[in-house]
Amino acid sequence: MSEHKNKQKWAEIATKELRGKPLESLDWDTPEGIKIKPLYTAEDIEGFECVNTLPGIPPYVRGPKATMYTGRPWTIRQYAGFSTAKESNAFYRKNLAAGQKGLSIAFDLATHRGYDSDHPRVVGDIGKAGVAVDSVEDMKILFDQIPLDKMSVSMTMNGAVLPILAGYIVAAEEQGVSQDKLAGTIQNDILKEYLTRNTYIYPPTPSMRIVSDIIEYCSKNMPKYNTVSISGYHMMEAGANSVLQTAFTLADGLEYANAAIKAGLDIDTFAPRLSFFFGIGMNFFMDIAMLRAARFLWHEIISKFNPKNAKSAMLRTHCQTSGWSLTEQDPYNNIIRTTLECMSATLGGTQSLHTNSFDEAVGLPTEFSARIARNTQIVVQEESQICHVVDPMGGSYYVEALTNGIIEEARKIMDEIEKLGGMAKAIESGMPKMRIEESAARKQARIDMGKDVIVGVNKYKLKKEAALDVLEISNTVREEQIAMLEKIKAKRNSKDVEKLLKEITNCAESDGNLLEACVNASRARATVGEISDAMEKVFGRYVATTQCITGAYASEYGDDETIASIQKRTKEFMEKEGRRPRILVTKMGQDGHDRGIKVIATAYADLGFDVDISPMFQTPEEAAKMAVENDVHVVGSSSLAAGHKTLIPQLIEALKNKNAENIKVVVGGVIPPADYEFLYNAGAVGIFGPGTAITESINHVLNAIENVK
Amino acid sequence: MISKDPNCYIKGVLDRSRRILAKTITLIESSLPAHQELARGIINQLLPHTGKAVRLGITGVPGAGKSTFIESFGMFLIEKGHSVAVLAVDPSSTRGGGSILADKTRMEKLSVTPNAFIRPSPSEGTLGGVTRKTRETMLVCEAAGFDVIIVETVGVGQSETTVASMVDFFLVLMIAGAGDELQGIKKGVLEIADALAINKTDGDNIQKARMARKEYETAFHFLRPASLTWSPPVLNCSALKMTGIDEIWETVLEHRKKFFATGEFNTKRKKQSVDWMWSLIKEGLKEKFYKNPEVKKELPAIMEDVRNGSLAPTAAAGRLLSFVN
Ligand code: B12
Ligand SMILES: Nc1nc2c(ncn2[C@@H]2O[C@H](COP(=O)(O)OP(=O)(O)OP(=O)(O)O)[C@@H](O)[C@H]2O)c(=O)[nH]1
Ligand SMILES: [Mg+2]
Repeated sequence: MSEHKNKQKWAEIATKELRGKPLESLDWDTPEGIKIKPLYTAEDIEGFECVNTLPGIPPYVRGPKATMYTGRPWTIRQYAGFSTAKESNAFYRKNLAAGQKGLSIAFDLATHRGYDSDHPRVVGDIGKAGVAVDSVEDMKILFDQIPLDKMSVSMTMNGAVLPILAGYIVAAEEQGVSQDKLAGTIQNDILKEYLTRNTYIYPPTPSMRIVSDIIEYCSKNMPKYNTVSISGYHMMEAGANSVLQTAFTLADGLEYANAAIKAGLDIDTFAPRLSFFFGIGMNFFMDIAMLRAARFLWHEIISKFNPKNAKSAMLRTHCQTSGWSLTEQDPYNNIIRTTLECMSATLGGTQSLHTNSFDEAVGLPTEFSARIARNTQIVVQEESQICHVVDPMGGSYYVEALTNGIIEEARKIMDEIEKLGGMAKAIESGMPKMRIEESAARKQARIDMGKDVIVGVNKYKLKKEAALDVLEISNTVREEQIAMLEKIKAKRNSKDVEKLLKEITNCAESDGNLLEACVNASRARATVGEISDAMEKVFGRYVATTQCITGAYASEYGDDETIASIQKRTKEFMEKEGRRPRILVTKMGQDGHDRGIKVIATAYADLGFDVDISPMFQTPEEAAKMAVENDVHVVGSSSLAAGHKTLIPQLIEALKNKNAENIKVVVGGVIPPADYEFLYNAGAVGIFGPGTAITESINHVLNAIENVK
Repeated sequence: MISKDPNCYIKGVLDRSRRILAKTITLIESSLPAHQELARGIINQLLPHTGKAVRLGITGVPGAGKSTFIESFGMFLIEKGHSVAVLAVDPSSTRGGGSILADKTRMEKLSVTPNAFIRPSPSEGTLGGVTRKTRETMLVCEAAGFDVIIVETVGVGQSETTVASMVDFFLVLMIAGAGDELQGIKKGVLEIADALAINKTDGDNIQKARMARKEYETAFHFLRPASLTWSPPVLNCSALKMTGIDEIWETVLEHRKKFFATGEFNTKRKKQSVDWMWSLIKEGLKEKFYKNPEVKKELPAIMEDVRNGSLAPTAAAGRLLSFVN
């Protein structure tokens, strides 16, 4: 087909409307590297393989099912978990009664990292960012009165995947439900943990073996269970744009498929049990196109293995709206953002969805905010009438062209990964993480300079913010968990437990199936921490190597007065003090959110600070030691997982004990406004919540460290 | 807490206070003349308390695994009862001049061990650069009781030669690359090495690393060793899997034993003291030159004249030097 017969005419009129500006001024280069034009016509989608296909039929661009939502709408599956198993169980049951359809369990960070609640490294983490589970006894309480043969349960667990999955299997068994009846999903996507989510325990090689063992075990015993949920969501939240998300996620998927095949499995025995998890952001059409493109590419990738079962190459996905796009400022706007993202995910054809709560940037959802989040989906599903047609965006010139654009750009990155030897090797090289972090630093610069608008943050700001109810998790959860642990340990047959733990260690050394060994130990009441330790003896604990990008923040900002004035200030500081202002940025506790701290590190260095970065997961004592040895002016602790009230006072105390009370402490991250006073009283000299422009925090930090003797 | 009283620092360092040791290093690193003056006084007083530690320099191309090696090697030494100080010079500085110091993320265990002290230093903005600061920092750490001092430096540029000139033993870390093993490594580095270790001898890499070892051994055959007592060995190790670490420490000790026996140890340290003096003189003269008000005033114009050819370089240098007399 040639150009539309009226295209010239359109261009003339459009140019006139632009009053002298050229037509090209309307083009927009997205961060994905895709150029968006102001108008798309039939000629823009000519010859694309992805156009004019049918749902339920390869290449599945328009959906994995022939009827999609016209037959059955997507599953409303809200991710939740907090405090004790008992409290979470009550919350789940209330939600199910109010219209939620599936369960999705959020564990706390101690559990994620394979520590029991009584471990000294997790004092500030118990029950804070998810539910604390130490053993099968907690698991049983968690699913009390929830029939596991009927309820599909999704569990976000990667590091401590073996003891948790084992606990779930045993809890079901003790409910009278056999393994073959279990339906649901375990995330079990370890590769992206090294990349963005940071709840790994062991190094990559043994971790990949764990993934294979689970795939193998489930393909034999749990045919209805999804064994890996290959996740791009976390990459998006860490800063990846939609092309990076697509490419890295599918490359992870390919790596798992290769691993399973290497372990001797047939493609059709496991591929139908691989599912996906994508994140949906504020670029409405882009992410509709992303889901369509991902389905196309996955079909292409898996077809190379010559599957016989059509389901093998069919991408099924869960989606979550972006928490990163939600603001602490003027938080009710978040309901609108989430609604848009919800529409985007469903128009893209997701199989299930989590929608975030409007209080996302201050803490875990309250009962009220969780209700609104759930109702966002219910309203779209039951009132908006979008479910009557399959892939309503199919045939849209723009969406089809975008779909093709993502396919092409993602292929390029996947080729790059292939050249590096696959995703595991690429991760080792640091390439994907650096790409994501660079993307995050650039985004931060665009927001700080007002180029990318965020309502309430850098435009239309409120003079005064209204107070918001925040869910606070009591520190007594830790005590309750410890009491429970003591009880279990007193009652069980410790000889048996020891023997079964030894068997896990032996299995780790040789080549039996680890999940099988863990189920046995879990049945005997071995704890999550003990089972993890039994393997750590052989595998060791993984330590991430931190690589840091520099220059991205300043270069995105370009020549600018604000930047120049800060650089001048840091230079004056140096002339006066004999060295640059020096900051230690640190993450304490098991909090693995490192997007913020990486952005801060890059930007502060670009603006003239010397920035020390601590390893992840520090104790306050360790952070203080490092601050003293490096003799920094200030420690900046980034806390997003609600450990701040425990950890910050301990840090300040530790500095004092080392005669370093004049090393200042500032705090950033998710800090509910109600806690500010507590932290100031404890001695913090600056608190910077979500949305703080870096140019603002840096001036504040300089104020705090100037003229300190 | 920054005091003007040198005794406060001297006492603190000798009492092994971490805080004061760190502060003293800050003084040494400072670009302010007053701080440097103070630091000089402190070091003079501390000198009698130095000299007993094993001084080790480690270099290698970026990514060779220096930091990881120091983590494993350091922990190995700690377990043997040593106390270890690590000085890491980080060359990365950004457009805005600041730098990111991430070394400790690769020394996760060592950095939290009570008997270890790690000080990463930005290399930018240093008058006289790495030389003076690192040497003086090393001495202060010795006075504070550390008995092994490790200096990490990136093997690109000049810093490795200066570091080699202040340590007892200079270890070069290598990795087996594809193709020609000697590419990318300067012959000069081999000449100052007391030992070479091929790191990352693990996993799929073992074969390649063993081959590389052979190739380097051959390369050494063509070099005349700096001492008749010592021909630098080539070793294999894996910082990650902690293999070959003990062998490297034994090599260091053997070198030490031999050099003590022949007296070369003392000769070397004496020579290093003289080197130190000269580098201070050079640095001092340079500083004097740049700080001279007339030089400051005239330099830009004279440089411009040289650039556009209206003034001969010889005449320009003569003129500028005449200001400092
Ligand atoms: C991105 C994100 C993730 C990503 C993290 C990716 C990564 N590598 O960082 C992913 C998807 C992996 C993730 C996972 C989880 N998350 Co999350 N996540 C977020 C989210 C949406 C945004 C955080 C962010 O990166 N923002 C962008 C950065 C740039 O902002 P920032 O860190 O706030 O930093 C800014 C300021 O705070 C300040 N600042 C911060 N630090 C410092 C330091 C200094 C020195 C200075 C000067 C300034 C400063 O300046 C920065 C620039 O403005 C928040 C909600 C939100 N909107 O804040 C939830 C949130 C933090 N997550 C939460 C939870 C619970 C989790 C999980 C634990 C869930 C679970 N049970 O599995 C997991 C596990 C993560 C882990 N290992 O710890 C909760 C924490 C609840 C709480 N505090 O009570 C939050 C608040 C969401 C919620 N309401 O439920 N998450
Ligand atoms: N396989 C393997 N990898 C290693 C070994 N030692 C280090 N590495 C890896 O190599 C990378 C670089 O290691 P570093 O210790 O940071 O190297 P470095 O020489 O200090 O690097 P710079 O400080 O950047 O110059 C990291 O990803 C390490 O995990 C080893 O013995 N074996
Ligand atoms: Mg290093």
